[in-house]
Amino acid sequence: MSLETLDSNGSHIASAISDEVVIELNQVNKWFGEFHVLKDIDLTVYKGERIVICGPSGSGKSTLIRCINRLEEHQQGDIVVNGVTMDTNLKNIDAIRREVGMVFQSFNLFPHLTVLENCTLAPIWVKNMPKAEAEQVAMTLLERVKIPEQALKYPGQLSGGQQQRVAIARSLAMNPNVMLFDEPTSALDPEMISEVLDVMVGLAESGMTMLVVTHEMGFAKRVADRVIFMDQGEIVEQNTPGEFFTNPKSDRTKLFLSQILAH
Amino acid sequence: MAETMHEDTVFRPKPSLPPPPNTVGVVGWLRKNLFGGPFDSILTIVGGSLIAYFAYTLYLYGIANAVWSAGSYRECLDITRGNGACWAGVSVWMNNYFYGRYPDVEQWRVNLAGVILAVWLAPFWFPKVKAKIATGISAVLTYPFLAAAMLLGGEVGWFLQIMVGIALTAFAAVWLNVAASYAGYGSLRAALMRLSGFENKDERLQKYVLIGAFVVGFVLALLFQATWDLAPVPTVNWGGLFLTLVISGIAISSALPTGVILALGRRSKMPVIRVFCTAFIELFRSVPLITILFMAVTMMPLFLPVEVNLDKLVLVIIAVCIFAAAYMAEIVRGGLQAINKGQYEAAQAMGLNYWKMMTLIIMPQALKLMIPNIVGNFIGLLKDTTLVSIIGLYDILLMAKASGQDTKWLGMHTEPFLFTAAVFFVICFCMSKYSQHLERTIGGGYGRR
Repeated sequence: MSLETLDSNGSHIASAISDEVVIELNQVNKWFGEFHVLKDIDLTVYKGERIVICGPSGSGKSTLIRCINRLEEHQQGDIVVNGVTMDTNLKNIDAIRREVGMVFQSFNLFPHLTVLENCTLAPIWVKNMPKAEAEQVAMTLLERVKIPEQALKYPGQLSGGQQQRVAIARSLAMNPNVMLFDEPTSALDPEMISEVLDVMVGLAESGMTMLVVTHEMGFAKRVADRVIFMDQGEIVEQNTPGEFFTNPKSDRTKLFLSQILAH
Repeated sequence: MAETMHEDTVFRPKPSLPPPPNTVGVVGWLRKNLFGGPFDSILTIVGGSLIAYFAYTLYLYGIANAVWSAGSYRECLDITRGNGACWAGVSVWMNNYFYGRYPDVEQWRVNLAGVILAVWLAPFWFPKVKAKIATGISAVLTYPFLAAAMLLGGEVGWFLQIMVGIALTAFAAVWLNVAASYAGYGSLRAALMRLSGFENKDERLQKYVLIGAFVVGFVLALLFQATWDLAPVPTVNWGGLFLTLVISGIAISSALPTGVILALGRRSKMPVIRVFCTAFIELFRSVPLITILFMAVTMMPLFLPVEVNLDKLVLVIIAVCIFAAAYMAEIVRGGLQAINKGQYEAAQAMGLNYWKMMTLIIMPQALKLMIPNIVGNFIGLLKDTTLVSIIGLYDILLMAKASGQDTKWLGMHTEPFLFTAAVFFVICFCMSKYSQHLERTIGGGYGRR
């Protein structure tokens, strides 16, 4: 569906990958009770790289990115983010979370705070930034996601697309060097998907390292440096978007692509 | 022709029309709520007549046929022949309903303590004044000691003296803060720095100024307290509504913080804390309050060393506090469970630690959801404290009963209890209304997602 819309907007935006490793996953395994949800995941993400992760539901793609900021705990293997190894040490976890922003499918804005307060809370309370400075940063970011006029409203007064853009601004307020997107457009009405994708494209153009779980294949074609396809807890295939969409190698990938691109 | 065929259809929304008559306004309301159909209409008429009948009877008994001044219950009965209320006795006993057996000449102390509390908490409703949380905490933590020293009188121990010093300093700080806010300094801290010339100095130096100001205030407070010469009034003389408010006030203000801690403990991942909190909550929730009261008053002293001779009132207050905390813990837990998991995840993903996440994100939302339950619990607690009459504390209920056993007013039972009911109704209704006001105003008042 949005494959067409985004393709007409422009071609693939230039990538800005450096050889500095930001995230490294080494033989990561995770179980939910008896259920083996991630199996021997190896993944290296370089600074500035934009990765789109897709796959059928239940394939472990959300769990994978949630392990990167410890919203889920992995049981085997190593996860290293910005040179910090993820372990049970709360200091390490906090250090990683300060540098990793996350955007959720259901926005998860704080309903009791205004849009501006949502964006200033973490800088003030985690980074000890003075309130005035935090508000200045937040307003700049709200302008970047094109909703500065909503700053004093509460999340409940905004549309879904506006809420998700606030959520992106809120994450950016911590000035992270990696952004994780967990199906950011899946809960949105069709008319609002493009306004969120536009913001994400802008973020990609600015050189942000991004891991995006999404079914928006148009976005993947336009933005991704690498597309990862997961099924049943494994990385089945990963390739550049050009190769991935035109020349998928595994039969599972072919089936998936034929199903999601059929309509 | 080709032109008209290729012209785009323009979408014009239909204009909004007013709703049909008889569905809005007074007529609409009556139709919808009272006379929706034949059955509804009959119910309305029958119910309305019943209400009118009871209201009229009550009016006859309480006002039209009532006696307002008489020397004894016998005189009342001679006039009313049992058809009207004898408010004369209630007004004679009024002072006891409110103050119990607190000596008449010392009752100004009770009034003053009440006024101090009201004045202490008043800045909550001043929009310009900041540090509202500090105001609340200072009142909850130190006011009880100040009130205890004022109400007990006599020689107070060194501990109480120190606490009274802190309380008076805190009270002064709260109002100096108000003054500083309205004088344009912003806050007491800012005013102190400006006036002492430490405005642009190091944080550490500023801290010394604050500590110095506190010490000066504390010494002044101690000197002031040394001039007090209050006649001792032991707690056995405390009673009436005053005693009811003391017990329930302490229980109410301690229930929320302890309840929050117990609820967090019960949801904790640490097994020892979780088991302890769960056991505490379940134990005290499964036992009737009256049992806890009896245990506290009769059995607790057996477990304590002989030298420790705790006042009966103190034991009762501890018992009620424990009981209230156990109930509050479950209310708070319910509120916490209503908060979406995504809120926790968003807070964690931003790097907030556990306590910041709880105080900044989770609790404000949970508390707003819990307001109706919390206030319901407070109202229940206020009424439950009348149980202390069973173990012989002369609260308003036992006072009401005692007035009917006075030789002059022997047999006067209905009137004191009607009066007590009215007093409770007024207090509880105000609490209920205030809680509705809070629900509407806290947290922007907009719908949650």
